[in-house]
Parts: sequence; structure tokens; C-alpha cells
Amino acid sequence: MMNRRIFGRLMQAGALVLAGGLGLAGAAAADTVKVGIIGPFSGPFALQGKNFQAGVEAWLAQNGKSVAGHDVEIVYRDLPAANPQQARALAQELIVRDKVQYLGGVYFTPDAMAITPLLKQGNVPLVIFNAATSAIMTSSPLVVRTSFTTAQTTTPLGKAVVDRGVRKFVTAVTDYGPGVDAEIAFKKAVEAAGGQVVETIRMPLNTTEFSPIMQRIRDAGAQGVFAFLPSGPPTLGFVKSFNDTGLKQGGVKLFATGDLTQESDLPALGEAASGMITGFHYAVSHDSDANRRFVAAAEKAIGGPGQLSFPAVGAYDGMYVIAKMIAATGGKQDAEKAVEAVKGLAWESPRGPVRIDPETRHITQTIYLREVAKDDKGHWINKEIQSFPEQADPGLAK
Amino acid sequence: MAQASAPMAAATPARDLGRDLAGLALILAAGLAGYWLFPDNLSFLTRLISVALLVLSLDLIVGYCGIASLGQAALYGAGAYAAGIACLNGVTEPFLLILIGAAAGAVTGLLMGTVMLRAHGLPQLVLSIAIVQLLHEAANKAAWLTGGSDGLAGMVPAPLFGLFEFDLWGRAAYLFGLGLLVAVFVALKLLVRSPFGMVCRGLKEDPLRVSALGISAFPVLLRMFVISGAVAGMGGALGAISTQVVGLDSVSFELSANALVMLVLGGLGNLYGALIGTVVFMAVEHVVAAIDPFHWMTLVGALLIAIVLFAPRGLSGTLDEAARILARRPRRAGP
Repeated sequence: MMNRRIFGRLMQAGALVLAGGLGLAGAAAADTVKVGIIGPFSGPFALQGKNFQAGVEAWLAQNGKSVAGHDVEIVYRDLPAANPQQARALAQELIVRDKVQYLGGVYFTPDAMAITPLLKQGNVPLVIFNAATSAIMTSSPLVVRTSFTTAQTTTPLGKAVVDRGVRKFVTAVTDYGPGVDAEIAFKKAVEAAGGQVVETIRMPLNTTEFSPIMQRIRDAGAQGVFAFLPSGPPTLGFVKSFNDTGLKQGGVKLFATGDLTQESDLPALGEAASGMITGFHYAVSHDSDANRRFVAAAEKAIGGPGQLSFPAVGAYDGMYVIAKMIAATGGKQDAEKAVEAVKGLAWESPRGPVRIDPETRHITQTIYLREVAKDDKGHWINKEIQSFPEQADPGLAK
Repeated sequence: MAQASAPMAAATPARDLGRDLAGLALILAAGLAGYWLFPDNLSFLTRLISVALLVLSLDLIVGYCGIASLGQAALYGAGAYAAGIACLNGVTEPFLLILIGAAAGAVTGLLMGTVMLRAHGLPQLVLSIAIVQLLHEAANKAAWLTGGSDGLAGMVPAPLFGLFEFDLWGRAAYLFGLGLLVAVFVALKLLVRSPFGMVCRGLKEDPLRVSALGISAFPVLLRMFVISGAVAGMGGALGAISTQVVGLDSVSFELSANALVMLVLGGLGNLYGALIGTVVFMAVEHVVAAIDPFHWMTLVGALLIAIVLFAPRGLSGTLDEAARILARRPRRAGP
């Protein structure tokens, strides 16, 4: 029994010595600015993490691995699913042991909320590439966000669809935080534009059988459906059921945010989603030179077309912001000065013109109305049909 | 099972005490060594202690009572949310928060035990999964109370003893956690040695014989369930205090399953096994994931398969076996 205990301690000591050794090996060389990126690089959300990485690598490939004479080193840390305890532990190690000057990434809201209390003491800014709940921005003045919020992408959509002559809506959202946010934002926008939401349906997480929901939509007599589900298989099931039960043929229109038709899912959705209208901040098919250069570099980094979607552009723009911060502080660690330097920063992103709102530190951007359609090569794309420039986050507006 | 009771029967109380003190000293020494050697990893080490409490609590019902459970995170999450909600409502004293977590875990354990003990074997396992899924969905639905999928954030626990803050470096959180772990470990060691602990083991190994002695199984097992709930709840509360955010992952099936994996890895029915399993699993995961954040899951999977194939009784069981073989050899060689 003694031996067993001693062995257990030895195992612990051995594993931790290994961990410590890694920390030493990673200690900063002269004038290298380290950037810690936390994202889901394995597990069910690995594709989103790969998009983070592709965005970062694309930026480095185009701009070189140094900023204003300071070498940039990226340290990736894997956080496969929402887990605030692990997020805090990873961020703490990045700050204290790896001595990163900047934190970036973060896919899920609870993880961001666990990291923000550390920023002030660590003297480290956090640039969020994805996590999309409005409230994160108010939890620390050292947070900047280059993604979007659900309210930001949904509000212009609500107005646009009413303008297109659809008046009576049903909302069908998955019953969790982002779904409820989307429902509230859409309802508000539709009612402000003179439309009407006749029924709000909240579907339990992990719903796989959607025909009862389609029946409720039919019974409500709506002209349009607004849907929000986690991307991937549930969306596919929802869209297929929408077609199979004859709602699409019956002339009911399907609207959603762009999360549902992210480009990596389009080949599977394909014909079923044809004609679906979404509101979002970025389409891989966006027509601009900046985007074509970005897509070329990012597709090379991700290892093939068809996997690239919106998290990559959040990461790419996030790296742009971090580079501006490094230049503004001369490579010195000064979180407040760094954040101050990017307030009001405006530039041409692959998604179009964008700006960091000085008040909220969230990105102000163009939101596009898009339709799922085939391009001239026969690939399914989100074809931009209308744009709403200068959209701030309505969730943060006072 | 057999490996747990065989050395027990052979050992005398005096030798037990010596061993326990030595074991305790080792845990404390290792914990303090962790503090001095890895001052930059304290957040991770605190998380490890929090999960170790969960795995210890699972060992109480799986290892000592033979109750199958894949839903232990229900108890952990109850403690985490209770402490988090209390903290947001002005109860910020860390010791009090731990007690609140323990109480919430115990109450949840009482309810969960009442339901689960109606069944045996696989149906019992299914019930445990159903309960953790129900609580997960309840926590998701009650977003006004729990923050739903955005997590419960914004809690600021008071400094420890009014002096040491729960800050970026995590020293206070770690030492607080270590103290808690040692205290719980001592209490549990006494518990499993007590007549009550013996009855639990008896029920696991031969329920018929124990009932022939006139002992009714249900109240005994339910009591153990409540104790297990209190321990898991303390782990959850420690997680809430040190992270200052509680997410839905703390009441998830995944966490429950991971806890069972760690327990099997370390060895069932043995409190040291629970600790060894947690430390080895989480440390390996942490180090490998830092080396290769993109493919580490494959490596950890391979390691688990190897351990189950070559050390089916867990690390502690295999070490026990090795120790016994080593101990036997010189005796045979002697006169």
C-alpha cells in the first residue's frame, strides 16, 4: 500500500515536472510578443477552432511574423467545449507562465466570462474572435470583440423581411441562450417594422424530430418562419423537415441567421436550403479583393476549400487588432494603452468596412441579407442580395 | 472488490493508523510541493482538486457501495450552482459557500439516492443518466437563476480569512482547496473504516448475507448517497469560488462520465485510487493538450485503452498487486 501511494505521488510529480519543463522551454526570448489563442481545436467543435487557426495563420502569412520589429509568437490552447473552469485555468497559465501579452480566440460565452476577471491583474487585453453574447463586453474594459452578436445579425434581417412583404411570422428557436436572444431580437425588429410574430416556438436542445413543429407552424398560418438552431446536424434535420412537410412548397418562407448556413455545412444542406434567406456579417463568397486574398490564404492554412467559414474572419480581424495594439505599445505590456489605441480603429476587413466602436469595443460592421444559391461553378454559396452598413450591436446600444 | 477487503482484513488497527498518517503526510507534502514547484499552474491544480472531490464522492457510491452511476455531476453541479447563486446574493464568505455547496449536494444526493436505489444494475445506471440530464436541462431552462448556457458569472468571493484574495495567481484558491481536500480525505478515511463503512462494503459484496444479519440496505445506502452528495457539492462549490463562473458543463453527462473514467483509471473502492486516477488523468490531459492542441484526444484515448487492457484493476490495484508480489518474494527466500 505504501508503494502504491509513493507511486501515485511520483506519477503526479513526474507529470508536473513535465508540465514545468514545457513552461521553461516556452519562456520568452528577447523581444518576442506572445499571443495566446484559446479555442475548440479538438472535439465536436474542432472545425470552428480550425477556422480560428486558419484566420490567424492567414494573417501571419500575409503580414509576416513580426509587427513593427517585434516577433509575434502564437500559443494555441485547446478548450473543446464550454468549460469555464478549464478556460480560467488555461488563461491563467498563458498569462502567468507563458507570459503572453495578448489573449485571443474564445468560442463560447461562459469561457469568456471566466477569463475577463483575470485581465486587469494580468495586464492583458482579450480580443474575442467569436463568443457572441452582448454582456461579455461590459464585464471588463480590456475586452475587444471582432465577431458579431446574435442581436446584431438578426435585427436588420427582421426589418428586411418585413420590407419584402412578409407580415406574419412564427419563430422556432432552440431553447438555449443564443436561441432565446435571436427570438427576442427578431420579434423586436419585426414588430418595429410593422410585422407580427404570431407564435414563438422554443425547441428543446437535441430535438431530432421536427414534424410536430412544422405542424404548429402550419396551424399558426404564418407566411414566414424565423429559425435559430445550433449549426450542423440539427439544422439539416430542420430544413429537410421544412421541405418534406410541404411548407416550402406551400409558399412559407424560411429565414435565419447565417450561423445556420455556414459555408462548411452548405454542401450537406444543398438543395434543401435553396432559397433560404439569412442575415449575417460574413459570406466566404463576399465580392471584394480583400476577401479574395483572405480566402486564398485561409484555404491554404485550413487545408482545403469547403471548411472555411465565419470564425476564420473573426480571427483574421482579431489578429489585425492585436497587431495594431502591439505597434501602439511598442511591444511593451500595457493592456490599457493597447485597448485605448484600437478604440475607433476602422479598416477594410474581408467582410467589408468595419470599425471598433469606441464606447462598447464591439465591432461595427455591415450586415448582409443573403440567399442560399448556386454560384456559376455550381457550388452552394450565401449570395449577398442586400447590405445594411454601419450596424452596431443593438444589445449594447444605450 | 476483493482487493479492497483483503488487505483490510489482514491489517491491524495500529498499522492502519500508521499507514493513514503516512498517506496523509504524502498528500499534504505533494500538495505543498505542487504549490512551490508549479506556482504558475495553480489555477489548473485548483481545478484538479475540485474534480478530485467529485471523483472521491463517486468512489463512495460506486467503489464502496457498488451503485452504478453516470450522473455524479448532478451533485457536483448542485453544489456549484448553490454556491454561485449564494455568492451573487451577498453570501461571499468562502467557508460558508463551501458549506452551502455541501448542503445543496447532500439534498440533491438524498433525492437522487431515493430514486436511484429503487433500481439495480443497468436500470440504475440509466436512472443516473436521466437525472443528470434532467438537472442539466433544468439549469438551462432556469436562465433567470442560473444564467443558462451563458453561465452564471460575476460572483466575487470575499478574501480568505479577510486577507487573501482569490486573484489571478490563485494561491489562496489553491491552498484553500488543498486544505479542504485534506480535511475531506481524513473524514472519508474514518468513514470507510467505521462500522457504517463496513456495512456498505458488505452490501456491495454480499447483500443477501448482510440482510440476513438484520440490516436493511436502503437506509444505509441512502446515507452514503447523502454523504457522497455533500462531498461532490463541496467540489462544485470550490470550482465556483475559484473560477467565479459556473457553466452548464458542471451538471453534464460528460463530466460524470469523465469522473467515472478517472475513478476506474485509479482503481475502485480505494480513496487513494480516486486521487491517483484524477491526478494522472488530468495531468496527462493537460500536458498532452498543451503539446499538441489539435490531436491530443487521440493520445489520451490510446492511453486509456492501454490501461484498461494491461491494468484492468486500475493503477492503484495494479500497484497493490506489484507490491504484494514484491513483498512475498523475500519471505520465500528466507529460512
